[in-house]
Amino acid sequence: MVTKRSVSLADEVAREVEAAALEDGVSFSAWLSGAAERQLRVRQGLRGVAAFESEAGALTAEEIAAGEALVARLLSGVSGMASRVRRR
Amino acid sequence: MTTREGLVYGVGALRAAARGDRMVWAVHRAALAHGIVPVVPVAAIAEAYRTEARGDRLEELLSGAEVEELDDEGARRAGELAARADTADLAAVITAQVAARRNCAVVASRQAALRTAAGLMGHDLIVYAV
Repeated sequence: MVTKRSVSLADEVAREVEAAALEDGVSFSAWLSGAAERQLRVRQGLRGVAAFESEAGALTAEEIAAGEALVARLLSGVSGMASRVRRR
Repeated sequence: MTTREGLVYGVGALRAAARGDRMVWAVHRAALAHGIVPVVPVAAIAEAYRTEARGDRLEELLSGAEVEELDDEGARRAGELAARADTADLAAVITAQVAARRNCAVVASRQAALRTAAGLMGHDLIVYAV
């Protein structure tokens, strides 16, 4: 099922979406829908993290920094081993 | 060194999250904060629910993940690769396949099956071993 909505985009954004959709081989609508779906998933996921934290305790600044660093390493193509970050 | 475009969670990542591994949750948070939605193969989900009691934590993790389903063609390819890798660990083989196809790094624990499958595909596996 598909809902039709009229949306307004800045000219520059619309041009970039058009180019990206062409590159990805999908329609303008499908590209926008995918981007919205991804953004919603991120929001839901961060709520999931918050739910974990409310039960297990908030991630510390040190843990958050370690997670950020590890993701950056993995995306740059470097493997890693588990290590424990001390909880405060 | 080749960069990766996202993350795939194997069974080990899901188990670790269910058991409250804070590093896995910190990685998950970091990925999402950067707009990266981790991918989880259905086979890994099935295996995690088989062994983990904390389904609520799995649900929390999966709420911020893209579940990659498996069609008949994918199942055939996974079975053939598992046979070549001489392993019954289909979840690990499928995780390696997803990582190779989507150019993702892997968060998982099953090193041997993952690495064998990735090697057979000629894929350089980038992995965070939980």
